[in-house]
Amino acid sequence: MNFNHLGRSLAGRFGGMLAVLSLVSVLVFILTRLAAGDPIALLLGDQASLQDIELTRQRYGLDQPLLAQFLYWATEILKGNLGQSIFLQMPVTQVLLDRVEPTLSLAVLAVSMAMLIGVPCGIAAAVWRGKLIDQCVSTLAMLGASMPSFWMGLVLIQLFAVGAGWFPVSGYGDPGAPWNIRLHHLLLPAFVLGTLNSALIIRFTRASMLDILNEDYIRTARSKGLSEISVVLNHGLRNALVPILTVFGLTLALMIGGAVVTETVFNLPGLGNLVVRAVLRRDYPVIQGALLAIAGVYVIINFLIDVLYLVADPRVRHG
Amino acid sequence: MLRLPRRHLLALLLATLPFAALAAPPKGGAANLAMIGEPQSLDPMASTADLVGTIMQHVYETLYAFDSKWNAVPMLADGMPRVSADGMTYTINIRKGVKLHSGRDLDSQDVVASLKRWMEMAPRGKSVGKDTVSLEAKGTNTLEWKFSAPSASLLAQLALPSGMAIIMAKETIASPLVSFVGTGPYKFKERKPDQFVVLTRFDTYSARSEAASGYAGKREALLDELRFTPVPNANTRVEGALSGQFHFADQLNVDALPRVEKGGAGVVPIITPSFGFPYMVFNTKEGVMANQGVRQAIQIAIGEAEMLTAAYGDKRFFTLEGNHFPQGTPFYSTAGTDQYNKQDAKRAKDMADKAGYKGETIRLLTSRQYEFHHTMVQVMAEQLRAAGFKPEMQVVDWATLVQRRGDSKVWDIYMTHSGQLPEPMLSPPQLGEGAPGWWSTPAKAKALGEFNQTTDPAKRAQLWSAVQQVVYTEVPYINVGKFSSLSARSSKLEGYTPATWPFFWNTGLAK
Repeated sequence: MNFNHLGRSLAGRFGGMLAVLSLVSVLVFILTRLAAGDPIALLLGDQASLQDIELTRQRYGLDQPLLAQFLYWATEILKGNLGQSIFLQMPVTQVLLDRVEPTLSLAVLAVSMAMLIGVPCGIAAAVWRGKLIDQCVSTLAMLGASMPSFWMGLVLIQLFAVGAGWFPVSGYGDPGAPWNIRLHHLLLPAFVLGTLNSALIIRFTRASMLDILNEDYIRTARSKGLSEISVVLNHGLRNALVPILTVFGLTLALMIGGAVVTETVFNLPGLGNLVVRAVLRRDYPVIQGALLAIAGVYVIINFLIDVLYLVADPRVRHG
Repeated sequence: MLRLPRRHLLALLLATLPFAALAAPPKGGAANLAMIGEPQSLDPMASTADLVGTIMQHVYETLYAFDSKWNAVPMLADGMPRVSADGMTYTINIRKGVKLHSGRDLDSQDVVASLKRWMEMAPRGKSVGKDTVSLEAKGTNTLEWKFSAPSASLLAQLALPSGMAIIMAKETIASPLVSFVGTGPYKFKERKPDQFVVLTRFDTYSARSEAASGYAGKREALLDELRFTPVPNANTRVEGALSGQFHFADQLNVDALPRVEKGGAGVVPIITPSFGFPYMVFNTKEGVMANQGVRQAIQIAIGEAEMLTAAYGDKRFFTLEGNHFPQGTPFYSTAGTDQYNKQDAKRAKDMADKAGYKGETIRLLTSRQYEFHHTMVQVMAEQLRAAGFKPEMQVVDWATLVQRRGDSKVWDIYMTHSGQLPEPMLSPPQLGEGAPGWWSTPAKAKALGEFNQTTDPAKRAQLWSAVQQVVYTEVPYINVGKFSSLSARSSKLEGYTPATWPFFWNTGLAK
């Protein structure tokens, strides 16, 4: 393995990661503050006087020039402090950490479901290209890609939570609920996310497998007398993995940062839900901290996927 | 199948009724209560939001509380205050032996320290503070409160569960509050933002002996635990109530009523009549609405009947009436109501022309946070167009609306709503000074000055007519009518009394 090349490549990507995060922090700050709205007026309630609102704004430093506010925020970030939530009156880091568990559990469960559905269906569609099974899988994938998650969520809630009573409608279980109750709350939203996201994985797996199955070395493998299963899985799937891994990574990152709609419909206390509520409350430190954290997760997952490419594909490894 | 004659059934029903009425709700269990969102704070002095009061009224109590007829009656106070002849000095005795959640007895020092904090922090407290000369503890269980002018609404201000004058242990007083030590039937246990606020029963709660009435009287914590869960999506609250996941679902959209009614025996709809009133505020400081004649023309142009029908549909959910207080209550008055629900486009146009309206754009600020606000403004815009006005709807989110209404340069009319409260000075804030709209005229000062300095209830009721008349004449805001609210409860939740700020003492969960 060419370690110099590998080191340079990783260092370059790491540098890019820092540049992206710096850019995100500036953009997030500007966009958050450009939006109209006042967190203090919401915090103090309808009967608060304009004078009270102004005094409280001063207490939170929101009357300072934007540049001064940004510099203060950026300096604190460099010290590892994401600030204090205006609305929840607790450290943003704590607020974010509280949301990691539901979001991560939901993402892992949903991505597992998506992979379990997507990869076998994609392989089957590629192997039996043009046959009934391919048409069925492609139709389902199209349906999954075009169905809005809120609609599917509401329908499933109606059928399985309100109607059959098999699942809870919303939330993440009672205070102190054990893991199996939490899992019970996650199954329906994970199914929604998993099914809808499996569409993309099906399409990528199918396309990637179709490319690979037409390669010369697959013909060679078959002519060697290897079983069809061995040809498809060992020679085909292994080589088709890189694009599938990319989609896997992106889907996981998307779910960690962006299961906004599903988390809202099922009232799950995750990161996506937090961002929506923070925007509605104009809780600037939480919006900024959460978006920065989500961007960080994206960047890190992309970085890890790049590393995985090195493991999965010798061509990348050897430059 | 055994069939009983109808008269036998009736006899059976009558025979069981007294027992049913006497049977107290069972003790124990935890109630899941779906609320409209995350509370802004757990400090009811720091925020006037109703949700904060709804939750924390279980933890903290006030000197006085409203009974079912909206009279302010003693809660932590031992009795009604002794008021000096000039109406400027109040002496209040505190109930003896009331336990704080920390285990010690409540004393007058706690009460004085808490009320001083209220007068420094809470908007209503500040207005009481302006007229306060001194507030001192006199012995362990008595306090003396001196004012510079008679304060007619003091007891109502002290009883209100919004921006509450809560009494807390003096050693916990801080800003922000970090521990929540009150005297209520429930203790604070845990808050996990966007997941729940959990309160547990306070076993040594010192209850009053009088029968429960409204927020007043005997309070008993029957449930072991109250779990307030923020569920901002109204549809999710409905589904949760229908599936039995929530024992109580607060403030549902009125169009959910048929679903709740057909939801089976497990769920019961709760309609709270005259829950609140929508009202639109005029910018009397700047722009086209600073012209009183144009405001009067708009009052004539609009039809509240159409607005309310469009917003609520079902007649069970609104009352079309111009009197600001419901019939049968002390402040009921028809003064000025001949200007209500006119929808006379021709007359409005003539009035606007006379007042000098030159076709300026009228900026209507509204939000979809509350769908009924948006619907009413849509209808109003059409009515204004029919009368020759040039309305322009500015639909923004709630956070933007509450910011913009503080700037007199960017709006002309905005729509909001308030709970229907028993005392005029509690809401809307435009009756006070400095609220958005900036209504401040000699006629207002005169009418409200007399009203606020008169302590005799009968005289105040008469004086309110004059205030209502000034509101109809100067049109600083228009009270659109009254609306009822829809909530739902599980049929297992027994003993629940519908209330503007829902409370769950004296409420139990059937096994």
